[in-house]
Amino acid sequence: MNKRKEAIAGWVFLSPALFVFVTLIFFPVIASILLSFTKWNFLSGFDGIKWVGFDNFVKLFKRDRDFKTALRNTIIYAVTTVPVSIVFALIAAYMLNTKVYLKKFLRMCFFIPYISSMVALYAVCKFLFGLKGPINQIVQMFGGEAMKWLTSSSLCRIPIISVVVYAGIGFSLIVYMAALQNVPSELYEAAKIDGANELSAFFKITLPLISPTTFYLLVVRMIAAFKIFTSANILKYGSNSSGLVNIVYDEAFGNYAFGYASSVAWVLVGLILAVTLVQMWGQKKWVHY
Amino acid sequence: MKTRKILFKTFNTLWVGVFGLIFLTPLVWMISSSLKHGSEIFAVPFTFFGDKILWANYEEVWFNKNVPFWRLYWNSIKIAAVGTFFQLIISSMAGYSLAKINFKGKDLVFIIILITMMIPAQALIIPRYVLFDKLELYGTHWALILPSMFNVTSIFLLRQFYAGLPTDLMEAARIDGANHYGIWWKVMLPLTKTPMVTVVVLAFINCWNEYLNPLIFITKYDLYTVAMGIQYFLYSTDEVNWMMAAASSAIVPIVVLFLFTQKYFVESIATSGVKG
Repeated sequence: MNKRKEAIAGWVFLSPALFVFVTLIFFPVIASILLSFTKWNFLSGFDGIKWVGFDNFVKLFKRDRDFKTALRNTIIYAVTTVPVSIVFALIAAYMLNTKVYLKKFLRMCFFIPYISSMVALYAVCKFLFGLKGPINQIVQMFGGEAMKWLTSSSLCRIPIISVVVYAGIGFSLIVYMAALQNVPSELYEAAKIDGANELSAFFKITLPLISPTTFYLLVVRMIAAFKIFTSANILKYGSNSSGLVNIVYDEAFGNYAFGYASSVAWVLVGLILAVTLVQMWGQKKWVHY
Repeated sequence: MKTRKILFKTFNTLWVGVFGLIFLTPLVWMISSSLKHGSEIFAVPFTFFGDKILWANYEEVWFNKNVPFWRLYWNSIKIAAVGTFFQLIISSMAGYSLAKINFKGKDLVFIIILITMMIPAQALIIPRYVLFDKLELYGTHWALILPSMFNVTSIFLLRQFYAGLPTDLMEAARIDGANHYGIWWKVMLPLTKTPMVTVVVLAFINCWNEYLNPLIFITKYDLYTVAMGIQYFLYSTDEVNWMMAAASSAIVPIVVLFLFTQKYFVESIATSGVKG
């Protein structure tokens, strides 16, 4: 087969994917970058687009209180949910790997929330954390007072963090279980002969050997946490618990401020890029390949 | 020594099991509430069943006059099936091309796709909204189906699998006079059944659970998806039992699908693993 024919075949096979990619990803990326430097109310049509340079970003960081709350919330969600769910998943995976009976059943218990609809989970969460809900019933059983989990500005992030941790553990658990299976068992035997106990074997052998997996999970789960949206939109009690995507949605489809909303979206992209770069740089220090 | 080991393992099973059951509790509560009378849901002490098992809650949800769940199911299944089908074909072709055909520019395409993978779909909804509005796809199911057709993870998964298949097979077919189209369709595609099932399950679940896109693009009750249906009940009624019947209706089929395809699902996440 000649080279030309080969090249044509290559592009023909790629073309459906490329077509969707260019129209729905590549072109929107460019458009969205450009829009973030404009002021545009969608209802005013294409003539209404006005180039404003960095004004949107200046306004966001200087004057927009909702944005700042959302940015803070987004960071809070990421730094709370990611470590908690990763540590829990690691312990569970370590136990499930060799140290328990009913391994498949238990794995299923932890995994089902991950494939469940987030809308449905938040719907359940809304009532579990309700004023008369089961969580408050338990609190009262232990002599505490019923708390306003959903409406109080100091507590309203707790239900969201719980759901995100709850729904995310299954994913990390499965990835960790696969990684743990690749740790050669001879290493443990050698450590045992050298007199190491279980705990020190875990910290000295297991943890370093699976550090690439931990790194992968940190990046992936951090990015997922930045994109939290469903929560605030379903629980809907003011903007106290909103994340950045909620601001994008509200500005774009509530106010039709497409330019402004785009700049919020690009703050989110910036955050994702920054975290990924920092983690890639940091991994040299603690990831053992 | 051996009894000690069994005791230890049993002890571990018990405490990990407690956590496992805690994980099921919210879902059990959901199903229990969906079968109760509204006044029984927050009663102390908790009982799994109320006085009577009220299937009427499901009747209300499934035959509601605005958003009957039978129609939401139909809509969600249709969107997920069409989207998944196209995603599978498109990813398979692209995967084959990237793994088995040599041509200039392929690496560049690959790198560009990789870079844009970092940008979340949430940042693209505004231009997509404008585009769909201009193409008059706003308010139709196509606005949900089209974005689900391209999925980097699926392309990756299939590309990796194609790359692992021996080239000898292709050579043999080529000597028999087959071109790339024939080789892909008749020789290679049938060998990728395992990753194709993985792609189908992942794509289907992602489509089924999708919330942001329908929220933006779907306005008519007739076209609502299951996720939108739950939201409808949350906003429009105070009947917790109905809401829980709606939530259960959304989760249960996916869990059943998962139980049947567990093997593929778990493997795919372990090797490539990404959701939405």
